[in-house]
Amino acid sequence: MIDHDATDELLAGYVLGSLSGEDAVEVDRLLAEHVPDCDRCRATLDAFQGLTGEIGLSASPAPPPETLLPRLQRSLDARRRRGLPAWSPTRLVAAAAAAVVVVGVAGLVVTQAGGGAQEQLMSQADLAQVKLLKDDPQTTHKRIGETQELIPPGVEELYIWGENVSQPPAGFTYRVWTVGADGETWVGDFIPDNGVVALHIAVDPASVNDLLVTVEPIASEPSQPGEPAWKAA
Amino acid sequence: MQDLADDLELHRRLLAGDRAAFDEIYRRYAAQAYGLAYRVTGQQVLAQDVVHDAFLALWRAPEAFDERRGSFRTFFLSMVHHRGVDLVRREQRLRNRTEKAANLEPLADEDPADAVAEAGYLGVRRKEVREALTELPAAQRQVLEMAYFDGKTQVQIAEELHIPLGTVKTRTLAAMRKLRVALEEAP
Repeated sequence: MIDHDATDELLAGYVLGSLSGEDAVEVDRLLAEHVPDCDRCRATLDAFQGLTGEIGLSASPAPPPETLLPRLQRSLDARRRRGLPAWSPTRLVAAAAAAVVVVGVAGLVVTQAGGGAQEQLMSQADLAQVKLLKDDPQTTHKRIGETQELIPPGVEELYIWGENVSQPPAGFTYRVWTVGADGETWVGDFIPDNGVVALHIAVDPASVNDLLVTVEPIASEPSQPGEPAWKAA
Repeated sequence: MQDLADDLELHRRLLAGDRAAFDEIYRRYAAQAYGLAYRVTGQQVLAQDVVHDAFLALWRAPEAFDERRGSFRTFFLSMVHHRGVDLVRREQRLRNRTEKAANLEPLADEDPADAVAEAGYLGVRRKEVREALTELPAAQRQVLEMAYFDGKTQVQIAEELHIPLGTVKTRTLAAMRKLRVALEEAP
């Protein structure tokens, strides 16, 4: 029988970003194994999450510098002109073969697809296809956090699949990296919708040692991995 | 409330890539976001980065907001807060307490930034939030604000206040539960 006072304590600390050590590990476990199926905890989490926005209202508003909006508009225009962030040529070659990570299903939101100017490495996968793959005895399964990495036989691509995957904190996204001989390569970002993840990653599984999923601020530059969230076993 | 409905409409336009909707959301929330980011980071340069990145993230991934899970206002300010705390943690060495914003205290009735342009309902809600905070027992409010505005972990708070970690957890939860009741919005 779960102690909801104890889980509430952890959820309160979690939304405030103030957990560390064993508590941080424990809340990750709760978010993966209990919260998705517990109406009470989901309601508590949403309510507490909302409070972190409300408490912010107590700070006195202050006019931002007049330069901020023009800076922001330049950033928006630059994104529009440039399209997706460029990859370094060496990393593109390393990851070029084609791998796909599928995480989440119905409402997976790929917030920032990876890939270079010429190809996109991560995209939302066809749900029916992923389900077939998942049940295919020929498919290799690897656990990666709350999801599974699916490697179909004979093709140079990967999938990521998951159900009941917990949401990253507000303003944050999951970020997928391949880990190869030359270090980590950013593949793309995603946010599960209703816990479902289904991603296709156009990368040859043979060209990478591992997949890594981190939690990063949305729209931050994917220069190097931050806090590791999940890693393929 | 009409303003909340307006937020949802603006968000829907944002999903369609409407820059005018983005500009309107900026007009509504930039001052509150900047004030919050300044209070968390304590430095104008860092606060600008937080607000810039939060709005950029909103533009790039408006789908991250789910109206079934709360209001747009709380979603966006929560995002600003998370980013502020994250930046403070990453840039701990840059944190200069002497540059902390002058608006740290008190949670006063009169707002020094009355002149700031913002939607009127934000001011009404701010008053409610401040009242709810001031009604918390001082010990509960203290741990909540150390976590929220100073970005401290519960372990750090326990060490600083010379109290058991369990007490920090208990006080934090008690504060959050009281705020939840006090600030529950009418459907």
